[in-house]
Amino acid sequence: MSFVSLVFRNLFRQRMRTLLTVIGISVGITIVVALGAITGGLKGTAGAMLREGGADFMVARAGSADLTFSTVSEEEWAGVASLEGVERATGILIHVTQHGSNAYFPLLGIRPGQLALGPPELVSGRLLRAGAPDEVILGSGAAASTGATPGSTVTIDGRPLNVVGVYRSENVFFDAGAYAPLVMVQELARKPDVVTAVFVTTASGTDPQALATSIEDGFPDLTTVASVDEYGKVDQGIQVMDALNLAVTVLALGLGGIAVMNTMIMAVFERTREFGILRAVGWRGSRIMRLVLTEALFLCLVAAVFGAAFGILATRGVLLIEEIRSFLEPSYTLDVFARALLIAAGVGLVGALYPAYRAVRLSPMEALRHE
Amino acid sequence: MSEPSSIDCVDVVKAYEDGRIRALNGMSLHVEPGEFVAVVGPSGCGKSTLLHLVAALDRPDSGEIHVAGHDLIRERNLDHYRALHVGMVFQLHNLLPTLNAIENVQVPMFELAIRASERRKRASDLLGLVGLRDRERNRPAQLSGGERQRVAIARALANEPEILLADEPTGSLDSEAGESVLDLLERLREERETTLVLVTHDQAVATRADRLVRMLDGRVDMTTSARDADRPAVLAAS
Repeated sequence: MSFVSLVFRNLFRQRMRTLLTVIGISVGITIVVALGAITGGLKGTAGAMLREGGADFMVARAGSADLTFSTVSEEEWAGVASLEGVERATGILIHVTQHGSNAYFPLLGIRPGQLALGPPELVSGRLLRAGAPDEVILGSGAAASTGATPGSTVTIDGRPLNVVGVYRSENVFFDAGAYAPLVMVQELARKPDVVTAVFVTTASGTDPQALATSIEDGFPDLTTVASVDEYGKVDQGIQVMDALNLAVTVLALGLGGIAVMNTMIMAVFERTREFGILRAVGWRGSRIMRLVLTEALFLCLVAAVFGAAFGILATRGVLLIEEIRSFLEPSYTLDVFARALLIAAGVGLVGALYPAYRAVRLSPMEALRHE
Repeated sequence: MSEPSSIDCVDVVKAYEDGRIRALNGMSLHVEPGEFVAVVGPSGCGKSTLLHLVAALDRPDSGEIHVAGHDLIRERNLDHYRALHVGMVFQLHNLLPTLNAIENVQVPMFELAIRASERRKRASDLLGLVGLRDRERNRPAQLSGGERQRVAIARALANEPEILLADEPTGSLDSEAGESVLDLLERLREERETTLVLVTHDQAVATRADRLVRMLDGRVDMTTSARDADRPAVLAAS
């Protein structure tokens, strides 16, 4: 008999209680994993956005609640582009509209000449041509869902556009969207003379950080974003999701901890006499503490496995809704599962410490007298 | 096998309920290494309390207790002492209900830093020693009272203790099973030269001991050796 088999034996003696505790903690872990995967997916989209056209950083309106609300005037764009050290400053207007069954279809307005400098990966057809205002290139996801191919026509916001190419993007949001000439998108979005953001590529020998600082100094209403971590400066959606994640994590820790504490206190109470026997035959207090903590940790790790599996299933379930599938691709990174595991371990430790302390504090004789 | 150890209790006091009940009231006792001492006396005279203090399951209020080189009054952590030097047999077997016989015997060995395979072999040998090798897989609920007590004895021997303490080990058994358990304890004590202190109400049990100690009101009232002519009187008085 090993120490671990003793732990198993103790957990299985109250199967229903163990099962209910595992389910309770699993629910918390499920939410943590699902939210983590969704937030990761949103951050992936943000990251893909930042790398648009091979840019070093993005310039947008400071304090925007959502990036699509950001407006950078063409005057500001030109000012940024004229700064020393800027090799390329690509202005893009993001117009999110309904197209086919996709309620969040991103139509990206860009000057055709600039698109050519940092083009997406073409699957078929060609890129946009200057002086052809009614052309569009579709992401492969959008093309597949509408059945469009180069040569066909699609109607966006009531305007018929000629599909001249199909590109592929690793990001599901962009893959379900399209690029079109900036002027035409400004008309459709009714946002003349503005872009959503300017994507800056620095000239060789220029420090991107220094250039970003000088842009922020020269244009106080604008801000620069070089990484996903800074994305909250122009889009509070991810910040909200991060806050939600934190709240759920704290809740999972707190409620899970209470569930584990309840279970382990009951277990310790019921087994008081047994702890007395263990002490009487020489078990050290630390071994008894290890027994109680290991039982709780094992319980929580099982819950973490189930919770992670349910979390994946839950996000997969959400993706059955087409509107969501078109803009969200959950990201099941190691980070998400590591966090779930850490939370589960934290729940186990937080919940079991007091019961374990109680088990150790019992005097052997007092415990042996327990009925 | 460990060398047998002596037990020295000097002027030991142990009270309960804020001093209202004095279970031990200045009790002194010396037990020689390898000696078999039976402690008798009326209920409430402090027999079991004495055993619990020597087993370090509880602490005295005052006095001195020295066993196997350990000062049981001053040492803060007595887990090590319990793990290595003492084997305890209770009136009720006190086996863990979810573990089978061989697993119960292995429980004290967790503190001995030996491998699982060695633990298992030792436990099996001990169950063989108490005549229960064929009941290794049975849980306490599947064993008779006498068999449970035999498992408890095997468990008490698991750490090869210098001192074996038995608190009315036959108290919950019928006479046949009790006799068998006593035979076993006596045989083990002889084979292993363990110091054995046995608390009992049973005169038949007490007659087997090297020395008989009668307690009264928390003190040693009378003590006789195996050859003392007044032993029947001590037993009668208890």
